Amino acid sequence: MRFLSALVLTLFLFLSLATAAFAGGGGPSKNFTKGVFIEIDRTAGTAVFQASDSEVSTTLKLGKEVDADNISLDEKVMVTLQEKEDGQYAVKVETMFLDLSMSKFITLMVVGLVGGMLSGFIGSGGAFVLTPSMMSLGVPGAIAVASNMCHKFPKALVGTYKRFKYGQVDIKLGLVMAFSAIFGVQIGIMIQKAILNAWGNAGSNLYVSVVFVIVLVVVGGYVLRDAVRLAKHDADDKTSPLALKLQQLNIPPMMHFKTAGVRISAWVTLPLGLATGMLAATIAVGGFIGVPGMIYVVGASAVVASATELLIAFVMGTWGSIQWGLSGLIDIRLTLLILSTSLIGVQLGALGTTYVKDYAIKLVMAAVMLIVAISRGAKIPGYLADLGLIEPLGAAMDSVLNFVSFWALVAALGTAGVIITASMTIGMMKARKEEKALAAEEA
Amino acid sequence: MATTSVTKKKPYLQTVLFGILSLASYIALFAHEEWVTDTFTRGGYYVVYPMVTAFWFSFIHGAFGSNLLSTLGLEAKVAKKK
Repeated sequence: MRFLSALVLTLFLFLSLATAAFAGGGGPSKNFTKGVFIEIDRTAGTAVFQASDSEVSTTLKLGKEVDADNISLDEKVMVTLQEKEDGQYAVKVETMFLDLSMSKFITLMVVGLVGGMLSGFIGSGGAFVLTPSMMSLGVPGAIAVASNMCHKFPKALVGTYKRFKYGQVDIKLGLVMAFSAIFGVQIGIMIQKAILNAWGNAGSNLYVSVVFVIVLVVVGGYVLRDAVRLAKHDADDKTSPLALKLQQLNIPPMMHFKTAGVRISAWVTLPLGLATGMLAATIAVGGFIGVPGMIYVVGASAVVASATELLIAFVMGTWGSIQWGLSGLIDIRLTLLILSTSLIGVQLGALGTTYVKDYAIKLVMAAVMLIVAISRGAKIPGYLADLGLIEPLGAAMDSVLNFVSFWALVAALGTAGVIITASMTIGMMKARKEEKALAAEEA
Repeated sequence: MATTSVTKKKPYLQTVLFGILSLASYIALFAHEEWVTDTFTRGGYYVVYPMVTAFWFSFIHGAFGSNLLSTLGLEAKVAKKK
């Protein structure tokens, strides 16, 4: 049986890596080029461009979306290209490396600290607010995603190491989930591409947002109900009825996860990893599915599931960073600024888990998921209007929705920070009291 | 598994050493900002630069963070789980 499960795992590993290599992983789309503009001809609407990966310069047609006056010469830019009837046009020009002022420094470091704490505590998080934060500072979207991805794996590595030391990481479960998730990511990307081809950009955005909101509200709501129930009785976690039933399914190969204390069929874990990857490719927050999946489907405790998620984040983050790095989109300065605080935050969050009961982890996770769902939900009317399904939104409405969307993310992070700090402080005070009482007893 | 002792000495020296190493790495990188941003975003094999840098900082800055928290008295509770 042990041999069979090893065989299935190995086959799955190779299959996932081969598919990932074939599909090109979860990296960026290829419709952009990087380089510097040498000369601009405003009357002809063209510009001479020197791409970084080419020896010779080319002349690019500037689309009407591009304001030639805003292009600075000899500054590294990222140019989005679009094929039109009469040739290829530059439709977007973005400065690759923004000047980092003190306020930007501080913003990135604060978000990094709280995001790190959240990661250390619930296994994932931070990315959902870091990418939009960077973009609001003026970082191009692709650079923000890439730099954020490159910050994810070192943070997850440190978090995994810490929580492994506390005896909370199930390495086997983490690797099974991570590699099946890589496979799932490829399927997710294929679905995304099919939707993009059929319904265009607005359709794809709408699809992503609707899936995001539904999944987060349903799963987050369920986790919240469970957390509140446990909190009322101040009880420890019990294995979910679904997980208990699934554990009884004796379909070989069976897998034994020691730290999680679970014996379950590979026919449960592999599809779960697959689904996590598929959703990660769609809504970009795989951990919000992976952790509840490991708790309610596999039957691991919230402590083990959130710790194991860090290992998954490490594997997937490393893989993703290589993909984005191959396209040369990682701004390491942004990555390192976030890491300067998130590497401390992740360890703080990790040690916090040793002082709290399982429901505190669930409570934080549910709160974050539900508030983030509001943030994305606020984007849906805009996408519906883009598709012509509802009347166009006025400028005022548009800015209100954008305001709600951004500040809901900040609120999610703030709420998480407050709950984690409060539950950790209470736990630490309780532990000190117990220690003192014990010392007094011994004396 | 971590060995947790109640009367553990605080790692002041390690905190300072890793702190200096980490700060020096940050200063070195930001002092050569232009070269770094250009080289690290060339793509292809140059992916090694950001990856190795991220690993380097995760080790030294991670070790600094760990020692800093210990110095501040923020330690994990003795393992609840086996």
